[in-house]
Amino acid sequence: MHEYAFFLGCIAPNRYPGCEAASIKTSEKVGIKLLPLEGASCCPAPGAFGSIDLNIWYAMAARNVVLAEQMDRDIALICNGCYKSIYEVNHILKHNDELRDGVNEVLKEIDMEYKGSIDVWHLAELYYDPKICGVDKIRESVTRPLSDTKIAVHYGCHLMKPRKERHFGDTDHPMWIEELVAALGAEPVQYRNKMQCCGAGGGVRGFDLEHSLDITNEKMINLQEVGADALTEVCPFCQLQYDRGQIEIEEKFGIKYGLPVLHYNELLGLAQGMSPDELALDLHAVDVTPFLEKIL
Amino acid sequence: MAEKKEARIGVFVCHCGTNIAGSIDVEAVKEYARTLPNVVHADDYQYVCSTPGQTMITDAIKEHDLTGTVVAACSPRLHEPTFRMATKVGGLNPFRFEMANIREQNSWVHMHDREGATEKAKDAVRIAVAKASLLEDLIPKSVPVEHAAMVVGGGVAGMQAALDLGNAGIKTYLIERSPTIGGRMSQLDKTFPTLDCSQCILTPKMVDVGRNENIELMTYTEVAEVEGYIGNFEITLRKKARGVLTPDEAEARGIVGGGCNGCGDCVEVCPVIKGNEFEFEMAPRKAIYIYHPQVVPNLYTVDFNTCIKCGLCVEACGEKKAIDLEMVDELIKVKVGTAILATGYDLFPIENKTEWGYKKYENVITGLEFERLICASGPTGGHLVRPSDGETPKKVAFVLCAGSRDNTGVGKPYCSRFCCMYSLKHAHQIIEKIPGAQPYLLYMDIRSFGKMYEEFYYRIQDEGAKFIRGRVANILEDPVTKNLHVFTEDTLLQRPIDLEVDMVVLASAVQPTTGADAVRKLFGVSCSQDGWMLEAHPKLNPCGTTTAGVFLAGVCQGPKDIPDTVAQAEGAASAASIPIHRGEVELEPYFAQCNEELCAGCGMCVNLCPYSALALVEKDGRKVMEVTEAKCKGCGTCGGFCPGGAIHMQHFTTPQIVAQIDAFLLGGEQ
Repeated sequence: MHEYAFFLGCIAPNRYPGCEAASIKTSEKVGIKLLPLEGASCCPAPGAFGSIDLNIWYAMAARNVVLAEQMDRDIALICNGCYKSIYEVNHILKHNDELRDGVNEVLKEIDMEYKGSIDVWHLAELYYDPKICGVDKIRESVTRPLSDTKIAVHYGCHLMKPRKERHFGDTDHPMWIEELVAALGAEPVQYRNKMQCCGAGGGVRGFDLEHSLDITNEKMINLQEVGADALTEVCPFCQLQYDRGQIEIEEKFGIKYGLPVLHYNELLGLAQGMSPDELALDLHAVDVTPFLEKIL
Repeated sequence: MAEKKEARIGVFVCHCGTNIAGSIDVEAVKEYARTLPNVVHADDYQYVCSTPGQTMITDAIKEHDLTGTVVAACSPRLHEPTFRMATKVGGLNPFRFEMANIREQNSWVHMHDREGATEKAKDAVRIAVAKASLLEDLIPKSVPVEHAAMVVGGGVAGMQAALDLGNAGIKTYLIERSPTIGGRMSQLDKTFPTLDCSQCILTPKMVDVGRNENIELMTYTEVAEVEGYIGNFEITLRKKARGVLTPDEAEARGIVGGGCNGCGDCVEVCPVIKGNEFEFEMAPRKAIYIYHPQVVPNLYTVDFNTCIKCGLCVEACGEKKAIDLEMVDELIKVKVGTAILATGYDLFPIENKTEWGYKKYENVITGLEFERLICASGPTGGHLVRPSDGETPKKVAFVLCAGSRDNTGVGKPYCSRFCCMYSLKHAHQIIEKIPGAQPYLLYMDIRSFGKMYEEFYYRIQDEGAKFIRGRVANILEDPVTKNLHVFTEDTLLQRPIDLEVDMVVLASAVQPTTGADAVRKLFGVSCSQDGWMLEAHPKLNPCGTTTAGVFLAGVCQGPKDIPDTVAQAEGAASAASIPIHRGEVELEPYFAQCNEELCAGCGMCVNLCPYSALALVEKDGRKVMEVTEAKCKGCGTCGGFCPGGAIHMQHFTTPQIVAQIDAFLLGGEQ
């Protein structure tokens, strides 16, 4: 068992609790144990906090890292926004002594010190990493293959960019999540402008909902074109935008898509035999039933 | 050794107009010099480098019976030879001169601190005087120069250099690693701004190279090892197994009237098909091949990586017996006096800029691929077509500075210098060849700097090419039509743009060719930060290198277009021919000397020497170090290290350096 401190984030436990449950249960079946990271705060959201005061962003993210340092475990997380904050702040502080000293000044007030002793991972990359888990292990864990389904992948901006501070190689034409999807027995499909933003990030959803939905709508058109049965992603915030967003698009623009949107961990849960109830799929805004009918 | 007599030093302080006098009190420095030990004369002058200034030095040497001279002026890189000559004319050994740099390292950088600059100048003069007091007579050595030269690389630069050397009566080895000479220029369709057919102007030169009786053309050959020094380079070449014999080689094997005559009978029967590198794999070739019909030498080559040795070609060749499928690499040693490196360039692997989708999207090509596709002798007979469907593209986007002037970490920070111009030419070519074609040039700046270049730029504007100033953010392919969406901001209109085109041509950055680094290191040539080979001086010695006798030509030294490449090649050929025509070269006497009585023969210095100038030899029954003076650069690595203090660095002796340090640290107190 590889043990990690599990950073939950905000959206998964509050909006998609099934995603949280799926992460803990699916990972255990492939040799990853997620330990609770007690006392963790918001990551904090990179757009909302980072664009207003970087120092607050650094300090709060660093505090979350310190909690894991105290457990002597690397962090695993399931949200691209959290990844942007916690992975990137950890990366920056490891390479910038001046910033680290500043952050430690602040942390001293709560008797904490950032040491830079751990790494931060997205659970999806741990699933893909053959040293930790790997595609084969995922495939072996499947008891209910998602046969005859076409699934499109949304990677999400904060996972892949900025390229310089990531380690994913070609960030413009990635295929590794597709490999993880294929391991579940589904057929991954390609669509136009795959790497475009979901529309939510960078504070756009909060600041200008209509513009944000415009972007989402363009993605929905491209997804509809290739006849995907479901869209999967590795970010609850992207999930929220595609899921809630489809309802909002219907309200504002009068277009109905009805495309089920599932976090990769929810898909993996289904493929490993978890029930829709266990995954709380009834809390999704877009009805998931058409997809479930194909696989159950 | 001259009779030891008390040092008598003359100091000359230069005003350099106001260059020095503007921020240094020259009078004060001169007066200070007069107070220094061993100084018997000090003077100042407006321009010491002028004829009267030099006369001042020669006269003073005689008048004051000087044993050494010090000039406080500019950098020794500029006028050290001048003042050495003046010292010599005055009757002293020229190495009894020392220079204090009070301009580049003082007045120019301390313009606003006259007092501080003056004090610093006094320090510099004091240090120079301390060294000058201990200088010794040195006699430069001469070595004979082999009457032959080598040119590495058979592109237009190497060909031009070899032709110039050959025509000057010098035996020249032209080394090319591919099967034919011609280089990048032979892959181009037309040249800017004159729109000459590139092959038409190049092939006569290729033929000349093949026929020149002084040029020994060695294709499919690489440099394996370089030993020796200016005048006497011993170079080992690896003649790669080509599988095909020339008529001469056949005759040497006793096959009369045989050898390859370029008939091509072998190609027809060869069953192996592979991509032709010359066409960027857009056309096939066989395992036995020539790149194109105009190759020089007109000689086939077997690609042993793909050859299945079926022997059909051997049969087809028949009585000529030109093909030997068991051929192995051969090492050949040649001796030359000087060498020119002309290794050229490759394109930066533009697929690394993943946002533009090269190698992912079929209709995104590079500028060099465009050259082949638009060239009448290319794979499509000069019809520009989309690789995805063979259709003629109408709307074509040209992405300039693709990977050049790029500080993102993926790409090159420098300007590749010829992409603006060839992209303009490409725009012209599609307008000319394809009715209704519309080129879009997406640019940062158009750099049309050469003769008739700006006029060419205007011409292409008038022909209807559209210019959009903006860096391309990303390119997306329409999965159905395979058209491309180019996303950028028109920074003049301040508007984001989604431009749908049929084809994208990336004017990719250029970088030193693979293997250039290895060749550079064999010849002891440095490179600049960006990886290009380093010239001896960017302004005043652009063809030379810091390794005496090794010169540079063409893009291996930095991106340049054909006219600049040919000009540099002629310059390099001229520079490389000078030592050969003189017949001997004088070496600066800054070499190490071994005191054999002190040398313990430990051999540590031998491994430390960066120039392989040292060796352990047996003398009187024990091992001692010996210096090959011609190879030694006087860097002092060995001298500084020697545990026994047995190595004497001429002109930079330990007592001289200690005297300089003392003079500085003790502030003149002895």
